[in-house]
Amino acid sequence: MPSLKTRIASLALETPLLTASGTFGFGDEYASLMRLEGLGGLVVKTLTLKPRSGNPPPRLVETPAGMLNAIGLQNPGLKHFLKAELPHLQNRNIPLIISIAGDTEEEYVALAEALDRQTGIAALELNLSCPNVKKGGILFGTDVVILESLVSKVRSVWNKPLIAKLTPNVTAVADLARAAATGGADILSAINTLRGMVIDVATGRPLLGNRFGGLSGPAVRPVAVKMIYEIFEATKLPLIGMGGIMNTDDALQFIMAGATAVAVGTANFVEPQTIPQIAAGLNDYLEKAGLESLHELVGVAHD
Amino acid sequence: MKQCRALVRKLEEISPYFYYLTLEEPYLAQAAQPGQFLYLRVSTGLSPLLRRPFSVAGTSPAAGTVLLLFRRVGAGTDLLSCLQEGDRLDCLGPLGTPFTYYGSEPAVLLAGGVGVAPLLFLGESLLNGGKSVHLFYGAADATALLPVERFLSPGVLIHYITEDGSVGEQGKLPQAFQRALDRGLSPGELFACGPRPLLAVLARENGQWGYPLQVSLEENMACGVGACQGCSVLIQKDGETVYERVCREGPVFHSKEVVW
Ligand SMILES: Cc1cc2nc3c(=O)[nH]c(=O)nc-3n(C[C@H](O)[C@H](O)[C@H](O)COP(=O)(O)OP(=O)(O)OC[C@H]3O[C@@H](n4cnc5c(N)ncnc54)[C@H](O)[C@@H]3O)c2cc1C
Ligand SMILES: Cc1cc2nc3c(=O)[nH]c(=O)nc-3n(C[C@H](O)[C@H](O)[C@H](O)COP(=O)(O)O)c2cc1C
Ligand code: FES
Repeated sequence: MPSLKTRIASLALETPLLTASGTFGFGDEYASLMRLEGLGGLVVKTLTLKPRSGNPPPRLVETPAGMLNAIGLQNPGLKHFLKAELPHLQNRNIPLIISIAGDTEEEYVALAEALDRQTGIAALELNLSCPNVKKGGILFGTDVVILESLVSKVRSVWNKPLIAKLTPNVTAVADLARAAATGGADILSAINTLRGMVIDVATGRPLLGNRFGGLSGPAVRPVAVKMIYEIFEATKLPLIGMGGIMNTDDALQFIMAGATAVAVGTANFVEPQTIPQIAAGLNDYLEKAGLESLHELVGVAHD
Repeated sequence: MKQCRALVRKLEEISPYFYYLTLEEPYLAQAAQPGQFLYLRVSTGLSPLLRRPFSVAGTSPAAGTVLLLFRRVGAGTDLLSCLQEGDRLDCLGPLGTPFTYYGSEPAVLLAGGVGVAPLLFLGESLLNGGKSVHLFYGAADATALLPVERFLSPGVLIHYITEDGSVGEQGKLPQAFQRALDRGLSPGELFACGPRPLLAVLARENGQWGYPLQVSLEENMACGVGACQGCSVLIQKDGETVYERVCREGPVFHSKEVVW
């Protein structure tokens, strides 16, 4: 009997299918719509120390085979999260992965420390697509020195698996992957959204309230698959692949490129059953291929 | 709220731009309330990728059907306009927070263009509750104005308004409503839906009129169920400015809470 059970670093998941941060809220919105079985883990919306109100509307626009979003990390902040969200998340019986971000290293560290004292959190994911306000606004995820320093500081206060989520908006993703590994990350995830914009020709102005947004959905998939392929060659760390996964074959592409697990984001908006459907599809695939586990497929695309 | 595969019962082309779509799905017919919307998967391919939101314009719980009314403006509504009787349409719904009726009569509905859709449902349901209802319904010209009396039981007082005067009263909706007030109309509550600039004018004028006014807003959506914060609009509540989701706390908001 093939099985979708997945080990990634020290995490044991029922399936390799996660939700992508920011696309599944804190889980409750979709609970009435989808069977949460099939879900290997729940990655929640990025959390910051203080509440964030987010960007002015419009925050979304559809683009060919994708969408741009500029939500601006709207979230209720740590205090509210611990009181109002964490208790129901702990009861869900699904590995819970908390995504965090901050304006400074200190904010990331304060979040990690506070979360390390809580039970029921399986792993932490560092959203690195945020400006470091003390370093002139350069994104944490785009500079090897800043990235390595941040990961190692969080590492020193967080005792469970640590995931570094890489941004694709860099010249050489392999260098940043290595920096995250040196800093002490256990797992790398990629990709976050690609920066883009749409001009409203009726007004001659940027369409999004924030002018720029992050591109996601099937349009980014070839870029994401290649980045996973490159990162796989650059480090020994296990990978979580994402970017435009809509179906079983898309998920398989990431696994074959080197991902041990995958995350689904934009597709949840289109079809809330995407994750259970892919779980069923992966099972069928293993059966037909006569394989026991997806682990046998990880990275097979490499020479 | 559920995900359903509703049966296309009837698609009527009213003009090259306007369509009535009747969907059969007993759950939706029974659960939907005025102001709520359905989130339709218009394509199974990648274009358009995201679902499209449409207000429920009426229900027939006995027949198990819901009525939608849409204007063809782009790729998604193009696809909807090609549906055939017997097709299945993937719907999430009913979504959003409905209108709240506090009980003052008459209820006055202010509709701009295709914004009439949720107000037809509200008007019909208030009328069935024995309330007196006025509908002021404005559009650019006769071709953009739908003969909506067929969706309303006799009793709703319909005031048609066109900017060019080709049907009904000539002028713009806020002015036509002002003239009715001058003639002695004394509304209990107002409910409005239409293009945002129109709603903003109504909200501003209502500073003088002073009636309770609820508006149904639109914003681009991704998830439709409250998970992504993508459809947020600025709302003022208890002296604080916060973002609320059109798909969850909305689409209906109290006009005085909206930051226009
Ligand atoms: C809560 C809610 C309820 C709605 N109810 C109805 C309804 O009952 N009937 C109906 O016809 N429409 C309704 N709409 C608007 C409808 O969702 C859009 O018209 C539709 O999504 C357009 O899709 P499209 O792919 O055809 O056009 P797109 O290709 O997405 O857009 C084509 C053109 O139409 C314009 N457009 C797109 N969306 C809107 C919009 N929301 N308002 C004005 N212009 C727009 C765009 O600017 C663009 O120029 C509602 C929207 C919301 C948020
Ligand atoms: C609406 C929206 C909100 C997002 N919010 C976050 C976020 O808060 N933190 C984060 O790390 N990534 C966020 N992302 C990025 C996704 O987690 C994911 O990396 C990206 O969308 C690519 O996957 P997809 O194509 O399957 O959506 C967001 C994406 C979308 C579409
Ligand atoms: S569309 Fe996602 S929160 Fe409203």
